[in-house]
Amino acid sequence: MNNNIGNGISRQDAYEKVRGVAGYTHDVVLPGMLHSCVLRSPYAHAKVVSIDTTAAEALPGVYAVGTYKNTSSRLFNASGVMAFLAPDLNPVLDQVIFTDCPRYIGDEIAGIAAETEEIAQHALRLIKVKYKKLPTVFDPLEALESNAPLLHPHISSCNTPGGVYTVNQGDVATGFQECDVVFEGKYKLPIQKQAQLETQAAVADFRRSGELIVYSSTQSTHPTRIILAHIFDMDQSKVRVLNPKYVGGAFGVRIGMSGKAEAIAAALSKLAGRPVQTVYSREEDFMASDSRHSGYVSVKLGAKKDGTFHALDIHAVLNTGAYTTYGIEVGIVLGNLATSVYRMPHIHYDGRVVYTNILTAGAFRGFGNPQGTFALEAAVDGIAKMLHKDPLELRLQNIVCDGDVWPLAYPCRASGLGECLSKAAKGIDWKQHGKFDAVGRFRRGIGISSGTHLCGTASSACAVLRLEFDGSLQIATGTSDIGTGNMTAFQQIAADLVGIPLERTYVMWSDTDNTPYDIGAHSSRCLYSIGLALEDASHKMKEKILDYAAEMLEESPKQLRVEQGVIRGGNREITVTELADHAHRREIQFVTRGFPRNNGFTATWHAVAADVEIDTYTGVVNVLKIVAAHDIGKAINPVSVEGQIEGGIVQGLGYALREEMTIQADGRPYNTSYHTYMLPTIGDIPEMEIQLVECPDPSGPLGAKGTGESGMVSTAAAIAAAVEDAIGVRPQEIPMTPERILKILKD
Amino acid sequence: MQEHTDILRFIINGREIYTQAPHDMMLSDFLRDQLFLTGTKKGCGKGECGACTVIVNGDAVNSCMILLGKVNGAIIETIEGLEKDGKLHPLQESFVQKGAVQCGFCTPGMIMSAKALLDRNDNPSKEEIREALGGNICRCTGYVKIEQAVEAAVEEIRKNAGKETKDE
Ligand code: FES
Ligand code: FES
Repeated sequence: MNNNIGNGISRQDAYEKVRGVAGYTHDVVLPGMLHSCVLRSPYAHAKVVSIDTTAAEALPGVYAVGTYKNTSSRLFNASGVMAFLAPDLNPVLDQVIFTDCPRYIGDEIAGIAAETEEIAQHALRLIKVKYKKLPTVFDPLEALESNAPLLHPHISSCNTPGGVYTVNQGDVATGFQECDVVFEGKYKLPIQKQAQLETQAAVADFRRSGELIVYSSTQSTHPTRIILAHIFDMDQSKVRVLNPKYVGGAFGVRIGMSGKAEAIAAALSKLAGRPVQTVYSREEDFMASDSRHSGYVSVKLGAKKDGTFHALDIHAVLNTGAYTTYGIEVGIVLGNLATSVYRMPHIHYDGRVVYTNILTAGAFRGFGNPQGTFALEAAVDGIAKMLHKDPLELRLQNIVCDGDVWPLAYPCRASGLGECLSKAAKGIDWKQHGKFDAVGRFRRGIGISSGTHLCGTASSACAVLRLEFDGSLQIATGTSDIGTGNMTAFQQIAADLVGIPLERTYVMWSDTDNTPYDIGAHSSRCLYSIGLALEDASHKMKEKILDYAAEMLEESPKQLRVEQGVIRGGNREITVTELADHAHRREIQFVTRGFPRNNGFTATWHAVAADVEIDTYTGVVNVLKIVAAHDIGKAINPVSVEGQIEGGIVQGLGYALREEMTIQADGRPYNTSYHTYMLPTIGDIPEMEIQLVECPDPSGPLGAKGTGESGMVSTAAAIAAAVEDAIGVRPQEIPMTPERILKILKD
Repeated sequence: MQEHTDILRFIINGREIYTQAPHDMMLSDFLRDQLFLTGTKKGCGKGECGACTVIVNGDAVNSCMILLGKVNGAIIETIEGLEKDGKLHPLQESFVQKGAVQCGFCTPGMIMSAKALLDRNDNPSKEEIREALGGNICRCTGYVKIEQAVEAAVEEIRKNAGKETKDE
């Protein structure tokens, strides 16, 4: 039956994409559509004393000017937390569409809708705003000081939305006393930007009938609908949010709204009475949509003489910028994942995310985990050094195994981490570790990192299957496909489990009007969560088909098989097409609805090894090879899985070596273009070897789990380990730029 | 905006196009907004990402940096023109087959950069491929499968060329 599952069949969406006929939000044109632009604050913290829009409004071709005065002032949170925090937690609502109290350079002050973008830009320059500057703070440690300016006093009296999150197991104080060696380190992490190719975008049509239709680049249409209905105080059922049908990358930057594009377009459309398109420029995308959290992570790791880990204490202070969005959860995930890789009787973590006057940090592939992993893995290598142990052996000795006690709410169900470590070590030729000559201009080194990530949540997933009159199968799920290939994987699963050819399946792309509720494409969850729902719906569909066929063929359903669209039993057969036609003509329809059989998370595992060469004259770190071994449970589409891991690795490579948004003295980010923000290009790509480890997870669909994020998690840690092997010092800060490496070499 | 009334003429994907569009309009905007050839993407509008790459008189260019008036009379190829008689170009086919497409936003630009290379060099080295695609950013794939796809297309094109010579 399995001729699709497990095969690297071609992505179905790729055919449209290579022909240039794939539609994205940037491409949407509606009759009468206006164009928009946004006035952004030039100050990092200020109060709008007065705003005069008369000249802008008077400009011919201008249809609407929106400010805090004439648009919704309801507080919201632009991220998906509006839809899926645990029932007992309330999302922090600290944003409005247009503000009179900008808290970072780029904050939205006003929006214009006009016939053309040129007119809108012209009108923007006619708006007169008087600001009163307020005191600013840009560093999270400074923002925690008692005299620091408060960004949202009504939410936190110490700039920490969400307070302090802790993880506790055993008693670390006693634990450290019982250790023979203790390593301590403090690490500084940069602001990394998703820099997805399609900038934030939306086209909103606020109809006079009271309905709101929004084409959006979001990775979660249903949660975006919830946010919009909240902002405009309307029934969710009157709001339709859809991807049209493709999204040009996301990586976490648009779980919930695409920046604020949907809200801005909708507010302006409401004022103008015409559809409005809002497309962020690349500069706006950089300066005014969520980034990865920068900040500080310190680690204290203690072990016994024989290498057994005994106590772990991690402390994180993350810069969440001007608004909360996905701040609190990032601090939680960092702590949970950094404390669940190694077996450890005594654990403490405390983490806080801190408001400052810079761009907001939110969700980005890895979601706190790359930061924690970078610090934790440095400590593991630190202990190895102190005990003169092989770092690989030390890891194999201490990694968690099935059934181990750990602080997480979901169990450790299956783990191929040991196999991942062995495979990564083999691929990188681990026996060279510690053996390279420490002389000459060029120094080689190899390093390894273990890692985990989560996938889920499985709750809030649903799949609806409909067998059409002609025997083709429609698959409806409420999630997006942001480029990861989940829609093709859905077709593979449904085709095989129902028993019809893949070409006869069709997936609905995310549209709140005709797909069931789902929280969207993120958290490495599509294949896992919706896959589970689909598995359930497919089994039910097959059962319905066989029951009906049993009557037609006068056989017991148990005697029947359905494969490739043909139902066979005894010596008779009919096609699913014939069956569907027969049933529909008798007013019988086949629709099934499936849900996940569990509602939590599960863990994925991986190991990454890196081989680097450092030019000690220039400080350039040249990555020669990366080997990544990932336990993904079961590869439904191995080519897609490899693609996810390769893409994640290269984002990790950028994180390790080059990518960083730096903040200037006035709070303005220096890097707001592709020219100044150094993304990896094709010339930077090292040799890469991807190894798939398939250790079936009993909680996943067909044993599978998601791997959208895991490629990103450990790459920087592995490269830093290799750098340490090459030059004897572990960099405490990324990216490991030539300047930083030269500084290490000089000291 | 400059007003120009003189008519511009192009051959776009083999079809003759006359337009009164302003000479200072960017080629990318003309293709997208006036001809609805939205396969040409815009990732930056500043010549920094390559998503808007099209082929003008045989050269791969960033169409967001090209003023319409400067390329009057040009022969222009966009991603929409590659498929012939319902058959994908070998580059399109290999991008699909090799899994070189994820979100797809960089894909048209990548394919056009690669096509300009293959049109003039049917046996490029790895370095030449990397150089030709060096201005095209992809944030999804990590480039591994893109490079493999171009290499596979080279092979396919050479194989077909071999066949044609034999047939003659
Ligand atoms: S859009 Fe032209 S180079 Fe980026
Ligand atoms: S496939 Fe998304 S940017 Fe290349």
